Amino acid sequence: MLHGYLPAILEGLVLTLKVSALSLAIACVFGLIGASAKLSESRAARWSAEVYTTLIRGLPELVLMLLIFYGGQIGINRLADAQGWGYIDIPPFLAGVLTIGFIFGAYLTETFRGAILAVPRGQAEAGLAFALSRTQVLWRIVLPQMVRHAIPGFANNWLIMIKASALVSIIGLDDMVHRAGLAAATTRAPFTFYMAVALIYLTLTSVSIFVLSRVEARYSLGVKKVQF
Amino acid sequence: MVRTLTAATVLVAALAAQSGAFAQSPDWAKIRIGVEANYPPFSQMSPDGKFSGFDIDIASAICAQIKAECTMVSQEWDGMMPALNAKKFDMIVASMSITEERKKSADFSDSYYDIPSTWIGKTGSFSTINPAALKGKKIIVTRNTPRARFVQDNYKESEVLLVAKEAEVTMELAAGRGDIGFGSSLAATAAFLKAPEGRSFSRLGAPVILGGAAQGGGVGIAMRKGEDALRMKVNAGLKAISGNGVYKTINDKYFDVNIRGE
Repeated sequence: MLHGYLPAILEGLVLTLKVSALSLAIACVFGLIGASAKLSESRAARWSAEVYTTLIRGLPELVLMLLIFYGGQIGINRLADAQGWGYIDIPPFLAGVLTIGFIFGAYLTETFRGAILAVPRGQAEAGLAFALSRTQVLWRIVLPQMVRHAIPGFANNWLIMIKASALVSIIGLDDMVHRAGLAAATTRAPFTFYMAVALIYLTLTSVSIFVLSRVEARYSLGVKKVQF
Repeated sequence: MVRTLTAATVLVAALAAQSGAFAQSPDWAKIRIGVEANYPPFSQMSPDGKFSGFDIDIASAICAQIKAECTMVSQEWDGMMPALNAKKFDMIVASMSITEERKKSADFSDSYYDIPSTWIGKTGSFSTINPAALKGKKIIVTRNTPRARFVQDNYKESEVLLVAKEAEVTMELAAGRGDIGFGSSLAATAAFLKAPEGRSFSRLGAPVILGGAAQGGGVGIAMRKGEDALRMKVNAGLKAISGNGVYKTINDKYFDVNIRGE
């Protein structure tokens, strides 16, 4: 199948999934930190979060990736040469995952911020009035309820991120799209390979949409759904 | 929140552990080579995901000749020069033409092959090729190449469609997005003309020689500036395999003409 290139493309798919899943985990961390910072009472935290989301959301992913991967490596090389450490390699996988996670963290910051604001303030205040600690209020009252509001935006970001993961090929990672591109060049059958990749992406995104809609339903148990 | 942060710290630490510092060998017993697989038959990917082709074979032959242990590093064409200068690898064997512009950011070995460029289009579409005949026509050429430069300098009245990779010249041509392509007379072009979708196309006009090995043109192996020891070693290796028949064996495996260009 696929001129014998199916296993090679599936290997690429594994990398695509690894990059996407790890990037998502990192993006969630950045997103939660960013959202807490934006809603924090500290002016410095609010400002740094503002700079983060403005800068990252305003720059193309490709530019950031090249800046961090090559720029970062050249910077590290200069430092290493000056200190006499020899060559220190930034592995492309690490750079790719961190960059994509960092970028989508900025989008998730906004998603999470909106979702936290959607939880009525009175609920957190009631929790505090019952002598729960701030952490307890966050974990038991705010987070479970914000998930419901965060899922639609989160799903959007995840879908865009799976597709954006193809950018890692520019920094030397062999993801599915890169593999398909090489196979297309070698066999001169671009349509076959790009069609196959399109179908795989469509499967991935459809499964994601299904799973996330179940998650949303689970977190909306306490809320009545309007039937038309 | 705290739990999330701890998980993230562990994750980042685990990822960082994968990266080890390793010392560069000054005697060049170990060489990392940047290659790609987008330019058949010079470089391509076999179904098992391994890279093969003329460039790969030449790189391996030189390594064997100079008794270096070589690792091939896969790299997209667009990131080749940045990756070389960021020390991701030590040299590029990817059919890279030696140009004045590229010499500003890298040193080159002696040319290891030099093939003429060719015009390609619908059979009989142009009887003569010159700036007047191609006025207002769309020429397809790979960006960041001497060929693109040649077209932009000499065919100022024509439209130019710049594509990212050599293989796309014929893809775009077959898709009807340009009137004529300007590409390598081997590589993509030769294979395309033999393929079913290339049946109604042919080479047009005379082959064009840009620069050539005599003027320091041709295709070379790029290395970081100032790595003279490596460059001399590679040049010696190239000279040896050209003399002892190894080059000829590899040449004949892929082409029916000699592309050494000396």
